[in-house]
Amino acid sequence: MSLAVLGVLEPGLFSTIQDRGRPDWTRFGVPPGGACDQWSVAAANLLAGNDAGAAAVEMTIVGATFRVVAATTIGLAGADLGGVIRETGQRLEPGRSHALAEGSTVAFPGAVPGAAPDAAAGTLGCRGYLAISGGFDAPLVLGSASTLVSAGFGGLDGRPLREGDLLRGRSVASVAPVASDVGRAWPIDDGDPFAKPNAERPLRVVRGPSPAGIEALVTNAWRVGSGSDRVGLRLVGDQLPTAGRGELLSHGVVFGAIQVPSGGSPIVLLADHQTTGGYPIVAVVISADHARLGQLRPGASVAFAEVSLDDARRALIEQRAALSRAAAILREDAGWDALWRSAGG
Amino acid sequence: MTVTKPRIEPLGDAAFLVTFGERIDLELNGAATALADAIDVIAAEDRRFGRPIAAYASVLVPFDPAAIEAETAREVVARAASGVERPVRPSHAGARGSLVEIPVRYGGPDGPDLDEVAELHGLSAAGVVELHASVEYRVFFLGFAPGFGYLGPLPAELVTPRRASPRERVPAGSVGIAGEQTAVYPFAMPGGWRLIGRTEAWMWDVTREVPARLVTGDRVRFVPAP
Repeated sequence: MSLAVLGVLEPGLFSTIQDRGRPDWTRFGVPPGGACDQWSVAAANLLAGNDAGAAAVEMTIVGATFRVVAATTIGLAGADLGGVIRETGQRLEPGRSHALAEGSTVAFPGAVPGAAPDAAAGTLGCRGYLAISGGFDAPLVLGSASTLVSAGFGGLDGRPLREGDLLRGRSVASVAPVASDVGRAWPIDDGDPFAKPNAERPLRVVRGPSPAGIEALVTNAWRVGSGSDRVGLRLVGDQLPTAGRGELLSHGVVFGAIQVPSGGSPIVLLADHQTTGGYPIVAVVISADHARLGQLRPGASVAFAEVSLDDARRALIEQRAALSRAAAILREDAGWDALWRSAGG
Repeated sequence: MTVTKPRIEPLGDAAFLVTFGERIDLELNGAATALADAIDVIAAEDRRFGRPIAAYASVLVPFDPAAIEAETAREVVARAASGVERPVRPSHAGARGSLVEIPVRYGGPDGPDLDEVAELHGLSAAGVVELHASVEYRVFFLGFAPGFGYLGPLPAELVTPRRASPRERVPAGSVGIAGEQTAVYPFAMPGGWRLIGRTEAWMWDVTREVPARLVTGDRVRFVPAP
């Protein structure tokens, strides 16, 4: 039975319910959608004891403020949006699970430069993920709970969170925190795409079907422009050469494709991208770097480096193995919790 | 005419783009649609492949590079493609889908660009309506937005560039034309096509098993409504 768990006091800048999206519906013109950073939404869910693909809240730059209507355990991952329990001042850091008491107020005011005790805070990116134990209860539309704002479906009536919304949990598990759950930390570093500061490493790309200009792409310094959203990132920098490349016949496109419109200012496609496009694609960000790509905030600097398809494949296999390792360790911990409980501990 | 062997090239590390040609053409689209259908069947059985995206003359085939090597995936795609490299007559290409009739109120507040389109082509508004409703269109593919079908080809006399600046909000059911295409906006959204009419017919409904009224390969006729 579903139960109200979190009441929205302030929605933040752009907070939506997201999961793995709708990759099976692209042929109907439906953007793949889902969390922009699939690594972190999986981490938040695993920390909360859920399946990696459960629905979570994706918060952007300035997060939401919630009233805890029923005690719960949350998993946090992705960008540090300054999470704090108002009444106690307790910090809610990402990469951990936290117990929340009924009646408390939980705020994610956004990363405050310099104010964070941890030097790494705020450097990861702009999207924070909040999962609750048992998972959020959001209706599946075309197989997914993900919010697609442009088409007005999924999540909460196809819109971002707003004041007064009540987020419900899928099961009673979401209101049964275990003492030993508290403070459970993300158990791995090796293979974690965010183990090092995101902005300091280039995003790896493979050559696209229209590779003229890739030398300039990987040499130039880029910045994420202000018109960026879940659909795509606009890159600001020296324009790429576009000579001889007009608009092509539209074809299917992918997350991470770097399109070059006639103006020469590249656009990198993110989760809510249109399924087809006609701009030349100079390069495509490799799958293993999609999570990092999905975290880039407006104003962040970006660099690209070309790799081979073999390198791309190896990096993805390593990353998948790292996530499986983390999931196995967290499951084992949960097993010890159950043993502890049954022993009356 | 036969459809020639398509070009198969990677689009990133997790998809192949299969291109049959660079034209808006019924035969090429018939081949792309047939390949997408074949890949759909493969992807339903073999989760190492994702659902394909067909467009005018191409098919995007996603795969999971951690689960299948690119060369192996390419062979599967090439084999499926060889099955559709055969003469595809436009009549056959068009006949696979169902015929959908869409009642349209042309002009007035429903089609705010009708008079301008008529003027651009030296036609009367009634002449534009007659031409637009005179032919059977093929749904080349769905793209741009959920349930948005690219329909064509438009009669040559009606080929019109997009508006210089897109509208921030095009009402649901608006019928627009752009280049060689026509389309119905499935729900309210921004858009740059010239709007000549509007329909009350449902075009997109996520509560239905097939949420899109029009699917690739369908044939469409617009019927002027009072």
